[in-house]
Amino acid sequence: MSVTPLVELRGIVKKFPNVVANDHVDFSLMPGEVHALLGENAAGKTTLMNILYGLYHPDEGEIYVKGKKVKIRSPADSIKLGIGMVHQSFRLIPVHTVWENVVLGLKEAGFILNKKKLAETVKKVCEEYGWNIDPNAKVWQLSVGEKQQVELLKLLIRNVDILILDEPTSVLTPQETKNLFKALRIMAEKGKGIILITHKLEEVFEVGDRVTVMRKGKVVATKPTNEVTAEELANLMIGRPVLFKLEKPEVKKGNVVLEAIGLKAMGDRGVLALDDVNLRVHSGEILGIAGVAGNGQEELVEVLAGMRKAHGGRVFIDGEDVTNKGVKYLIEKGVVYIPPESTRWALVREMRLVENVALKLYRSKDFSSTFTINWRKLFEFSKKLIEEYDIAAHSPSILASALSGGNLQKVVLARELSTTRDGKVPKLILAAYPTKGLDVAATEFVQSLLLKYRSLGSAIIFLSEDLEEIMMLSDRVVVMSRGRIAGEFLPTEKTIEEVGMMMVKGSAA
Amino acid sequence: MFKLERRVYPSRKTSGLVIFLSFLLAFFVTGLIFYFLGVNVVQFYLIIGNVFITPVLFLQAVFRSIPIILSSLGLVVAFRMGFWNIGAEGQIYLGMVAATGIVILHVFYDAIPISLMLIAMGVASFLAGGAWCLIAASLKAKLGVNEVLTTLMLNYIAILFVDYLVYGPWRDPEGWGFALSIPFPDYATLTFGGHPSVAGITISVAVAALVYVLFKYTKLGFVLSVLGKSSEVAKYAGMSVGRATLLGSLISGGIAGLGGFYVVSGMIGRLRPRASPGYGYTAIIVAMLAQLNPWLILPAGIFFGGLLTAGDALQSLLRLPASTITVFQSVIFLCIVLAEFFMRYKVVLKR
Repeated sequence: MSVTPLVELRGIVKKFPNVVANDHVDFSLMPGEVHALLGENAAGKTTLMNILYGLYHPDEGEIYVKGKKVKIRSPADSIKLGIGMVHQSFRLIPVHTVWENVVLGLKEAGFILNKKKLAETVKKVCEEYGWNIDPNAKVWQLSVGEKQQVELLKLLIRNVDILILDEPTSVLTPQETKNLFKALRIMAEKGKGIILITHKLEEVFEVGDRVTVMRKGKVVATKPTNEVTAEELANLMIGRPVLFKLEKPEVKKGNVVLEAIGLKAMGDRGVLALDDVNLRVHSGEILGIAGVAGNGQEELVEVLAGMRKAHGGRVFIDGEDVTNKGVKYLIEKGVVYIPPESTRWALVREMRLVENVALKLYRSKDFSSTFTINWRKLFEFSKKLIEEYDIAAHSPSILASALSGGNLQKVVLARELSTTRDGKVPKLILAAYPTKGLDVAATEFVQSLLLKYRSLGSAIIFLSEDLEEIMMLSDRVVVMSRGRIAGEFLPTEKTIEEVGMMMVKGSAA
Repeated sequence: MFKLERRVYPSRKTSGLVIFLSFLLAFFVTGLIFYFLGVNVVQFYLIIGNVFITPVLFLQAVFRSIPIILSSLGLVVAFRMGFWNIGAEGQIYLGMVAATGIVILHVFYDAIPISLMLIAMGVASFLAGGAWCLIAASLKAKLGVNEVLTTLMLNYIAILFVDYLVYGPWRDPEGWGFALSIPFPDYATLTFGGHPSVAGITISVAVAALVYVLFKYTKLGFVLSVLGKSSEVAKYAGMSVGRATLLGSLISGGIAGLGGFYVVSGMIGRLRPRASPGYGYTAIIVAMLAQLNPWLILPAGIFFGGLLTAGDALQSLLRLPASTITVFQSVIFLCIVLAEFFMRYKVVLKR
């Protein structure tokens, strides 16, 4: 029995500056199957699908669609081949009606629109999938689930038989999710192939026929879903131990530096991202926060750094209530914040290195008077940092954009760690994914820095997507799931596998 | 095949070169346009060039460049902080209103001592221009209203407000019914240094120096620059973004207001309708041509002042319409926009 695969990707390689997003990836999609593409954020799933959709061009590798070797130069090409993609952010025009959105760009519709015929087609497709959308409703009036149905409608009406859905459930309610999966099964029965990008394990088993797991740009496994267990998948997804070990000196825990009680906050989408979070961090302690991306970790550090408003609960530093006191106040209290993607959000690339060093320091008495900044002193100080942190810059006056990602991260760390409070050791260090995207040497450097400040008495909150790293560095680990704390333990108490399960299941295993 | 490639970040040298080339291109394109309109292009450029080598005409060019230079210096502040102030024209008009208001206060109510008149007029026009810009800035800070639209629309309000004043309450009772304010007494005119151009250029150099110092040495200037590059990073660094936006726009509009002060007090000697032929719009081109460098604003502004002066000569000598210079200005503007594009991208040959 040889069925021609709808899609076959062979040896796909895609490199971006500093990172190999896809490293010789093989992938296939059979007619009538829902194929889950599982992996953590930045594992290369979306890159791979963007290549199939024609948004990116692979550096190496071949693409076969329905047995024929093809070159996909643009989304227009991919649609011609019967490939359609539903993106995480919908591409609809809110002020237009459903059918106007559906018809937009539809070549078959011709120059003069046959509104009646089109409306009928739309209605027919809706009936097939049990959808209940009024074609004349304006898109802004629809619920999120209905908008997604319109996106699918757009593809179905174009007779797409290869559907790519990029984390379609991340915006849906449980009921909407159920309906979506029902529709996906109907599509599969009609012989269409569906690729479901996800990082949620339960979805793989609920709707998937086969699953491909990606990690760090590589495919680590492709298996039928009835031949794997959730535990196995969690291991594959989160990965195996790393190769190097760090010296972790004994440090005596000090007093409580940070205490958060019943913390609540809204996420960017206006839904509750933090729900009743309680935390305590001592001086000389690293608290690791583990969790699948998007479960409230980032919002938590943002609230603690003053970047996001807490809607409920209290934050105390050294016993002082600092809830919603603002960024500047917290900086002065000795809170250091290394945000996710810090090279983007904590640096101005179009400015000189010395100006980036000055971002917070310009207010310090050592480097300024009432109105003016002492740039000469800052210049000297930057020179010192360049040397101390071994930053590959010959002068503080070069533009930050001239530096590589690893060196930029060093600039952020150098500025944040050594300088916030006129030479004093930071009280609280919030490090969100500080090692993400760094090579081994730079990673080790960052880790040893965190350990150094732990010895010096800072309280540290550490976020990482690498579970092994969290277990290795942390004195205590907290697992976050759906904005709540799903468990707290010492790194010696649990295995990586157990923690992985806790992350994906949202409760203690 | 030619392909466009994004530059990592344009170096200063490339920017300068690209701007210079686009400036030359503007001369070429303008020449081409007028050539096809049957104009003697050589004569056309000789008349323009003549302005810059004839002392009397050059003085006139400087004279007319002052309001452009001043409002352009204001725009440097706004553009560097990422506030797209298109409202220098309106801020100029508000500056005129405030300066005239002080004169009227003095003449009719004797409210201000003569020795303080010029200073009071300067301060008032700065505050008025600044307040006009603040309207747009606070709408942006509080409600997120796009400043391009608000500053632009406020221009028309300002122009009509001046119309209202000179046709109405501020009309000179002894002016035979013309829509003019009372003429400014000598002590309210900017003529120190013997000629209004000298007074104006002195003020311009001083303001340019202040803008330079603001961005080079002060905390506020640093905050504004960071804000202009990324408001997210500014917020992250604990900078008070709202306060800086308001302060920066006050300064920006205020400097343009000084330009209005110069128009009524140095150039015309009274307030009249449509007293600015679009200085505030020309200032946008000047600011872009000078790449937001306050020192370069001076020569760039004088060049455009020279164009205005040359416009008169072109009308009388070549019988060209007054809008000729507007065409030239527009071509320069388009060429600068093109230059911005080539600063971001480079053309590479690819097979």
